[in-house]
Amino acid sequence: MLLQLKNVSKWVQSGGQNVFLLKDINFWVNEGDFISIMGPSGSGKSTLLNIIGMLDHFNEGTYTFLEESVHSLKEKHRANLYKQYIGFVFQAYHLIDELTVKENLEMPLLYKKQGSSERKALVADMLDRFNIVGKKDLFPSQLSGGQQQLVGVARALIASPKLILADEPTGNLNSKQGDEIMGIFKELNKEGVTIIQVTHSEKNAAYGSRVLNLLDGCIEC
Amino acid sequence: MFKIHIKIAFRNLWKHRVFSFINISGLAIGLAAGFLMLLYVGFELSYDHFHSKSDTIYRVVANIKMPTGTMETDKPAIAVPPHLQKEFSEVLDAVRVMDISLDIRNSKIKLKENNAIAVDSTFFKMFDFEILQGDKNTVLKEPYSIVLSETAAKKYFGDQPAIGQTLKIKNEDIHDLNFTVTGLMKDFPKNSHIQADIIISMTTYTQGVLTDFDQYWGTYDPSAYLLLNPNADPVALASKFPDFLERNIGDDMRENKSYVSLFLEPLNEVYLYSSRGSEISGDINSIYIFSILAIFILLIASINFINLTTARSVERAKEVGVRKVIGAEKRQLTFQFIGESIIISLLSFILSIVLIAIFLPLFNTLSGKIVSPSIFSNFTHIGILFIIAIAIGSIAGTYPAFVLSSFKPVKVLKGSFSTGTKGILLRKGLVIMQFTISIALIIGTIIIYTQMDYMRDQELGFDKEQIVVLETNISPAQKKLQDNLNTLSGVISTSLGSSVPGGGNNIAYSLIKNKNGEEQVINIAAYFTDYNFIPQFGLKVIAGRSFSRDFGTDSTEAMVLNEAAVKVLGYSSPEEALGAKFSQWGKEGQVIGVIKDFHFKSLEESIKPLTMTIAPDRTDVLSVKISTHNIKETLSSIEQKWEAILPDDSFGFYFLDEAFDKQYRTHERFGNLFISFTILAILISCLGLLGLVAYSTLQRKKEIGVRKVLGASVVKIVKLLSKEFINLVGVAFIVASPVAWFIMNYWLEDFAYRISIQWWMFALAGLSALFIAFIAVCFHATKASLANPIKSLRTE
Repeated sequence: MLLQLKNVSKWVQSGGQNVFLLKDINFWVNEGDFISIMGPSGSGKSTLLNIIGMLDHFNEGTYTFLEESVHSLKEKHRANLYKQYIGFVFQAYHLIDELTVKENLEMPLLYKKQGSSERKALVADMLDRFNIVGKKDLFPSQLSGGQQQLVGVARALIASPKLILADEPTGNLNSKQGDEIMGIFKELNKEGVTIIQVTHSEKNAAYGSRVLNLLDGCIEC
Repeated sequence: MFKIHIKIAFRNLWKHRVFSFINISGLAIGLAAGFLMLLYVGFELSYDHFHSKSDTIYRVVANIKMPTGTMETDKPAIAVPPHLQKEFSEVLDAVRVMDISLDIRNSKIKLKENNAIAVDSTFFKMFDFEILQGDKNTVLKEPYSIVLSETAAKKYFGDQPAIGQTLKIKNEDIHDLNFTVTGLMKDFPKNSHIQADIIISMTTYTQGVLTDFDQYWGTYDPSAYLLLNPNADPVALASKFPDFLERNIGDDMRENKSYVSLFLEPLNEVYLYSSRGSEISGDINSIYIFSILAIFILLIASINFINLTTARSVERAKEVGVRKVIGAEKRQLTFQFIGESIIISLLSFILSIVLIAIFLPLFNTLSGKIVSPSIFSNFTHIGILFIIAIAIGSIAGTYPAFVLSSFKPVKVLKGSFSTGTKGILLRKGLVIMQFTISIALIIGTIIIYTQMDYMRDQELGFDKEQIVVLETNISPAQKKLQDNLNTLSGVISTSLGSSVPGGGNNIAYSLIKNKNGEEQVINIAAYFTDYNFIPQFGLKVIAGRSFSRDFGTDSTEAMVLNEAAVKVLGYSSPEEALGAKFSQWGKEGQVIGVIKDFHFKSLEESIKPLTMTIAPDRTDVLSVKISTHNIKETLSSIEQKWEAILPDDSFGFYFLDEAFDKQYRTHERFGNLFISFTILAILISCLGLLGLVAYSTLQRKKEIGVRKVLGASVVKIVKLLSKEFINLVGVAFIVASPVAWFIMNYWLEDFAYRISIQWWMFALAGLSALFIAFIAVCFHATKASLANPIKSLRTE
């Protein structure tokens, strides 16, 4: 098992009352899974994804990631954990505008303090694999949405994470570009990368092996 | 990693060119201006410190207490220094420095030299003025020795060697004697309060023309410097001075009812701290004011920097989020952002060097001294500037760096992000501080300007227009010259006197009968004149009469007082003083008239008591009132007459009004410097405000969009956006006013004749600041409110 959430709840105070964003979530992921989280707007999909990605805290429950109990880890350890094992893909790509494609890809490796030759090799690999060698010196603003998301996926992948978290990765793309990205996810999954995606589209959800339906912060309630 | 951070920094700078420009140039202007001020302050503080023994050299000054009040002089009596050296073992050396004026000529040229001094023979041993040729121990040993500066040597001998040459010299004591050039010295450093181009040996007086010179206990002439034993306590030494004076002149003091006390001033403090008037003197208060100004400017520039950087953090938030998600640690981000601000400060540093290189000559002119010949002439200065720049960069960068690096990625990546109220409060606080400083500076500027204007317009009580002053020597020929000049068509009238207003005066030991009928001893300012002096300068006689040839006794027995003198003698009206008996410098007679007070000294000083007597044997200043027509022609015919009658004397003249105004030059320079730097400070504040408003409107773009969709007019939106900043200016005004009032009141106390601070000065300053802020705000607010709301609302 890669990760497991037990009785996880998250709430915010609003007008003196607790408003639940997530309520009593029980959920596990095995290595090699491809899970799609679905649900209407405001159902807590993104919150759940952020909690899994350790970017957000929760108020109750336990979260185990590779035998480590995340909820009791210090901030720094937690950061080390996701740095090592998790890659993120966003709906709005979130590339760094001031860096070229190549430099964007290199960034996570720099933060992992990898050597220069190793970085170069990995970046070249990725560029090759996603067919964007020709774009390596362009800035994000010079790319189409699909190409930007391609770079986004490549960046998430470059540090060879076990888990990829994708928050509506095709939300800003047209259907052709979307299909391309989903195709890549499918392929990655075949290679053994675990993927969790948040999506609105039944079609995209169909790429996954399991679908999780979320409504008002609960799974299938 | 480092490389990529630098890359990002530069790409960011380029992407936001306008803001980068504001940020960098604001800081660069601040650095350059602040640093120029500091250079100036440093120069002023460096006065006289270049002497290796400056810590153990003291200047002797004297107070003379008389029944009429105490006179503070910067000089003791002539006899004091040699006697101090003789009687106190802790005094290793005593050197007198006497300002003199000389007529110098050789076969080629003749010149009147005012920049000359006579000094004791150990002058070059005590002070570290550099001797280029000659032996510093002996150059001034013999009478009739002269040492020239390089400039003076060039003037008299061109490229010929000066040593061993002779110059013919005369003044009131030295009558056409040959002097031998014994030494050549480097021009004195500018940061020396002793200045001279020409030095003659004091032995010329003591062993030559005035052999009892060292016994003059009643003439307060040369400045005196003592070199003390390094172990000696100056305070202990000074405590022995009363006994010393008692031993030497105790009876005289009692007889004359004028009691002398002596004090020591450390050489290092003479220039800045001594309040005893001397021509070359600085003012520690203006040093304080300029230091504060420099710090203010650097502060304003740093605040800009912090404000602009934190304001921009909104834009950087996404980047922070992304970086954190892909593995950046907080520490790494903090360093990245501090690094970025250091890069900006480095760019500012480079730009400020350019600015300083360009503006240093202008600054030197403005300050009236060469504070530094070139920024590249002293690498320590560049080093200091570098350190200041980096310090500002890292300090100012720290806060934004911590704010930025602590952003939570979940929040910023979702887009629901806004800077906390804390950040806004801080920025508002900084803007208030900036405006407080600016408003205080504007108030200061208005007050300084008004005071200068007041001094320029002040009724001086005498005519100074169209008067040409010639310095002659006392000789029968000068009377002949005067008579000859009177025949010239452009000359309206002439007068011989011992002084002209603003040009110094004698202090005469006098006995004058006071209200109680006693003979009051008084050391009083004295003008020795001819019959035409009072009408020529337009002085008003308010009691009695002016000098007149109709009264044969006027030339020997008549005295005219000013109102201040009447008051000192205790008379309640000028009329009462008429007929009072006097004796002064060997002359006896009575008061025949009283003139209205006039400013015979600078307006900084209140008007002192003054006497006037007719004394043709003491007059050496010939003032000539000329008509406004053909001034040039008149001047050249005056020179012709001079050459014909006084062929051995060098011709020199000045206009009285120009010379009188010179007294205010220090203040004028102070004012000009202050005003220039205030303008800079305001400019930098405005730059910052512009940048800040731009960001604030950017942040409220969405709000503006919504308001417009709901039907708000452009005017309403401009109002909304400006209100916030206008309020800040209001708060700043409330803080600035009392501070400025306090400081400027203190500054004004230096002037005997000064303006009172009035409410409109504050109002004017407040309104100007408001106006400036309003324009800056309006510019952006209008732009934002005119923008199409669809654009700003579409973003999400």
